[in-house]
This record gives sequence, C-alpha cells and structure tokens, in this order.
Amino acid sequence: MTVLREVAAELIGMFVAERRLTIAVLGIVIVAGCFAKLTDLDPLVAGIVVLVGCPTLLIESIWRAARHGVT
Amino acid sequence: MMTWSIAAPAVTAAFLASLVEVVEAFTILLAVATLRGWRPAAWGTTAGLALLAAIVLLLGPLLDRIPIHSLQLAIGILLLLFGMGWLRKASLRAAGIVPLHDEDAVFAAETAQLDQQARRQQRNLDWVAGIGAMKAVLLEGLEVVFIVIAVGAGRGLLMPASLGALAAGVLVLGAGAVIHRPLSRVPENALKFGVGVMLSAFGVFWTGEGLGVAWPGEDIALLLFAVLFLATGLVGVTLARRIDMEVMQ
Repeated sequence: MTVLREVAAELIGMFVAERRLTIAVLGIVIVAGCFAKLTDLDPLVAGIVVLVGCPTLLIESIWRAARHGVT
Repeated sequence: MMTWSIAAPAVTAAFLASLVEVVEAFTILLAVATLRGWRPAAWGTTAGLALLAAIVLLLGPLLDRIPIHSLQLAIGILLLLFGMGWLRKASLRAAGIVPLHDEDAVFAAETAQLDQQARRQQRNLDWVAGIGAMKAVLLEGLEVVFIVIAVGAGRGLLMPASLGALAAGVLVLGAGAVIHRPLSRVPENALKFGVGVMLSAFGVFWTGEGLGVAWPGEDIALLLFAVLFLATGLVGVTLARRIDMEVMQ
C-alpha cells in the first residue's frame, strides 16, 4: 500500500509542481477551449491565448517564488 | 508521414528527459547495491521494469481508442503542466532560489535512509533494499513512459521516442557501470531546463491541435514555441536573480 501511495503521489506531483500555476494553466486552457468551441472566432485565437498565457503565467510563478521564497 | 522537424524534437526530448530520470534512478540503485550488493538491486530493477511493462501493456492499447483530438488535448495539457513545472524549477535552481539537485547528496541520503529503514522494520535487509530499487525504477520509469507517450503518441512517433529513451538508459547504465559512482557531473539542471522548454513547446502545440488550431507553418511552429519558452525561462532566471539580490540587500 505504501508503494501504491508513493506511486500515486509521484503521478500527482509530476503535474502539480505548484498548485497555483497548475490551476492557472488549466484556467487558460478552459478559456481557450471556450474561444475555440463556443464562439465563431478562428480557433487560432484559442491557440494564441494558450501561447501567450502560458509563458506569462510561468514568469508570474517564478517571480512570486523568488519574491516570497516559495518553492 | 514522419517529418524530421517534429521527429527530431520528439526524439531529443525523450532522450534528454529520460537521461535525467535514469540518472536519478541509477543513484538509488547504486545506493541499494552499495548497501546490500547487486542482487537486491537487480531483482528490484527487474520487478520495477516488469510492473512498468504491465502498465504499458494494459493501458497502451487504450490510446488507440481515444479520438485523436481528445488525445492531443489531454496530452497537450499534461505536457504543459509537466514541462512548465520542470522549467519553473530549473529556472529557480539556476537563479539560486532553490538548491541544485546533488546526486552525491541523494546517494548519501538514500543509503542512510535504507539502512535506517531496514533497522526500524527489522526485516530482511535485502528485501527492503530490493523494494527501494523497485520503487525507484517504477517511479522514474513512469515519468519516462509519460514523456515517451506525450511526445510520441500525437503523431505516431512512439517508436522513435521510445528509442530515444532507450538510448538514454543504455548511456547512463553504461557510464554508471564503468565509473561505479553517482553521475553527479551530469548537468542535470541544464538538461531539465532544456527539456522543460521542449515539453512546454510540445504542450502548446498539442493543446492547440486538440482545440482545432491549424498552426501557421505547421510543425515549424513547434520550434518557434521552443524559442519562446527558452526566452521565457531565461527572463525568469534573470528576474529571479534580480529579486533575490534585492531581498538580500
């Protein structure tokens, strides 16, 4: 059971490096998905949302970690 | 049809990411072997690889049943989370905010922990050491399997990506067998930074394709995304260093 728990924790840890960044990335993808599927806009707009949003979130996350010493 | 513009980044990403993971697994296997000999390390490795193979054989065929756009979207999102996580951590390490990963320190800590665990549990030491080896192979192996699937499944590149990962395994185990020490000279953070850049770029690419985006320039766009994430990581390192210096003053 301990091994299973550790495997589960490792799997979750692979994708949740930092909770706030994870939630924000998922939020960006949901917004992009809404643009792509719920509007008449070119799907490329959704792609640009992801392309611009993710690096911006990454910079913010690094800035916040450096500022507050949170890892 | 396989194009080199997308196959080369996929194979390189699988190779470099696997290099990082296999180095980490090797350090633990070496600790096990140093403490209890190569036998528990060997059976732990075999058991870990068998479990990994069972997982791949069980879940692998399911990939074919998932519609391609859903698969691309799911893999793209997971790659974004995984790749950006690596890039964030590597940037913070490069800036000195987070200590660098030290294989020698991991080796010493793992050896001490195994020794302590064996004493505490009063079990056969070989058994405890073997379980430690199995966990290392399974946990690091799961990351390798994910990376191979993530960079390979979207365009039928599973085989080239697997070969990239296999080459990394052979290289690390070969080097480890020769020097018999933790591979602490491998520039792990630089590798993690590079792989984080590539996986994040793949993440944007597949997420977009999953949402129905036809990227201008098709596969070439992947290289531009990699340049964007490379610049983002470098800006992040500079920013973090500057903030760290301000805080120190």
